[in-house]
Amino acid sequence: MRFDLYNPTETHQAVRETVRQFATSELEAQAAEYDEKEGFNEALFRRLGSELNLFGLTVPEEDGGVGLDPTAAVIVLEEMSRSDPGFALSYLAHEVLFVNNFYYAANADQRRRYLPDVISGKRIAGLAMTEPEAGTDVLGMRTVAVRKGDRYVINGTKQFITNGDKGDIFILYCKLDEPKRKEITSFVVEKGPGFSAGRKEQKMGMRASPTTQLVFEDYEVPAENLIGAENRATMHMMRNLEVERVTLAAQSIGIALRCVDEMNRYALDRKAFGLTLTRFGQIQTYLANAFAETQAARAYVYDVAQRITREHRQSLDAAGAKLVATQMAERVARTAIQVLGGYGYTRDYPVERMLRDAILLSIGGGTIEAMQKNITRDLTRIYR
Amino acid sequence: MKILVTVKRVPDPEQKVKIKDNALDLSGMNFVVNPFDEYAVEAALRLTEKAGTTERLGEVVVLGVGPKDMTQQIRSCLAMGADRAILIEGNDDDLDSEQVARVVTAVYEQEKPDLVLMGKQTVDGDNNQVPQLVAGYLKLPQATFACSLDLAADQKSLLAAREIDGGTENKRVPLPAVASVDLRIVLPQSVKNNVTDASHAYPEGPRYASLKGIMKAKRKPLEQKSAADLGIKDLAPRVQPGPGDEARRATPAPSRYQSGVCGRANAEAHRRSEGLLGLTPNVNAFTVPAPRSAHERGDKHGQRSIGRGAQRR
Repeated sequence: MRFDLYNPTETHQAVRETVRQFATSELEAQAAEYDEKEGFNEALFRRLGSELNLFGLTVPEEDGGVGLDPTAAVIVLEEMSRSDPGFALSYLAHEVLFVNNFYYAANADQRRRYLPDVISGKRIAGLAMTEPEAGTDVLGMRTVAVRKGDRYVINGTKQFITNGDKGDIFILYCKLDEPKRKEITSFVVEKGPGFSAGRKEQKMGMRASPTTQLVFEDYEVPAENLIGAENRATMHMMRNLEVERVTLAAQSIGIALRCVDEMNRYALDRKAFGLTLTRFGQIQTYLANAFAETQAARAYVYDVAQRITREHRQSLDAAGAKLVATQMAERVARTAIQVLGGYGYTRDYPVERMLRDAILLSIGGGTIEAMQKNITRDLTRIYR
Repeated sequence: MKILVTVKRVPDPEQKVKIKDNALDLSGMNFVVNPFDEYAVEAALRLTEKAGTTERLGEVVVLGVGPKDMTQQIRSCLAMGADRAILIEGNDDDLDSEQVARVVTAVYEQEKPDLVLMGKQTVDGDNNQVPQLVAGYLKLPQATFACSLDLAADQKSLLAAREIDGGTENKRVPLPAVASVDLRIVLPQSVKNNVTDASHAYPEGPRYASLKGIMKAKRKPLEQKSAADLGIKDLAPRVQPGPGDEARRATPAPSRYQSGVCGRANAEAHRRSEGLLGLTPNVNAFTVPAPRSAHERGDKHGQRSIGRGAQRR
């Protein structure tokens, strides 16, 4: 069989096909509506688990998952993002930020208690890391857990949490006893007395995915919900970052692919001065550059994805792929609007939504500035 | 209850067809399961399951006749939930309705299923002949173009509704039988098996292959055989194409603007650049189905949108 970077095995190809079918029929039909009303399509989200088994993608089969690799996750996010990047972002928060992260960090008892419900889609999950005053400077977080008998008492606020109001189970990163500490501690926390969703953000893009604050006020969590050991969460937090970055980059690729589709279709159809737009040099520049840039970033993302393993995290290239792909998608979506002209600026076509959604990916899951900082740090280690 | 479902691979109806040397150019073409056959697989699964449970009440055997690399399409039927598959190898060019019917008949004799379920026709050849030929050769009762199927509790007969001019005809056929299905067979309540609750409503359309289904399909038996293994000497077509049967495409008259600023050379470059996207064959980046309306597609393939939702820009 011919080597195919984007579908390395028949299984990957089958996954792509089934997700594409689902996306082109189910996601496509509702994307504009949920963007417009800034709502979350909960019924459709649960079908990802119950009907397609898209949760637990990277969890081994013997533990109730599907047993696939980061490349499969990239395929799923790319295909979903061609139709509805906002919905796909909620999927990413549940599947990559929670399920993949939790599976590798949690102990057997915690897996048994929480995995089945998040894999089936019965419960919606997410990750609580960012705080109002700690974003890129993640170790500056100030949420604190204090041990009290067989429980911990947690106080603090988390900011910009995807699935914040719809989810009821989260991985929480915080400090033990006092905010100045450098080490991170993590818990699996469930909504209950003392833990609720705060204000829902009104966003420019990714509007189909709810983003809220999470507020902890003397929230008590049993000690058995501690993930790993006290002060030892930094490692597993970092260990999940590569898959997060490469799947967020995959969202950018999906957006760019869709925009390339849209602009080519439009340019072939639309006539000006008696000729299709494809016959004009200025438009050719847009079409050709968008296509080539998309292909280049796509190759980078898939190349990194297939090299990520538990042992080889590829932190340098995962950051590189996110840096390149997110900025590329913004440019390509912007170009698509230019090719479609006035129509591109309206909500009759999906490209303006794609641009609004694309911008989030340069910020969420690590800003481009954070990627540049990390890349330079890694390069310095190599070249010094 | 054992059901034999036939499937054919067809060029993706959503893709643009290319013509080369007076024939369809299938190189770089993405192939899919013939939509009507996919409906037949869905109907067979509904007949052999208790909805809402994982309980199987029978066996669904998928039979493909076609080239070796058709295993991909067959695996997708296994991923939907079929139990095992048989692939009889043959070249697409050699297979006409008569040849396929002979193969299906031979496989029937080996498998002895209770029901042969088929799509009413393929969307490439559009012949609508194989189910009728198979029923004829096997001297079995037939129900063609079924839009609903109701399996009797004793599993001895099948009540099929057929859409005909001016209404619906209901036909009860004793089993074993041959049935071919139309697209309305995948409406939420078109298939009843007297085990699944009669009020149960399926999602419209053929089911998606779930990821667990895809992983399981890798381990399901797929038997590859030749026609000779079935005692069929050759698969050469009985009917040879005659003069005037070549595929052709009429080229519209050149636009009068082509001699202008963006001249003929430019048009040529544009035509060549069209091939660019062809660099990504199979399921790849730039082959997402165009969200064209059924009207624009202008043919029966518009029917395929059943259950796969309305596509919009």
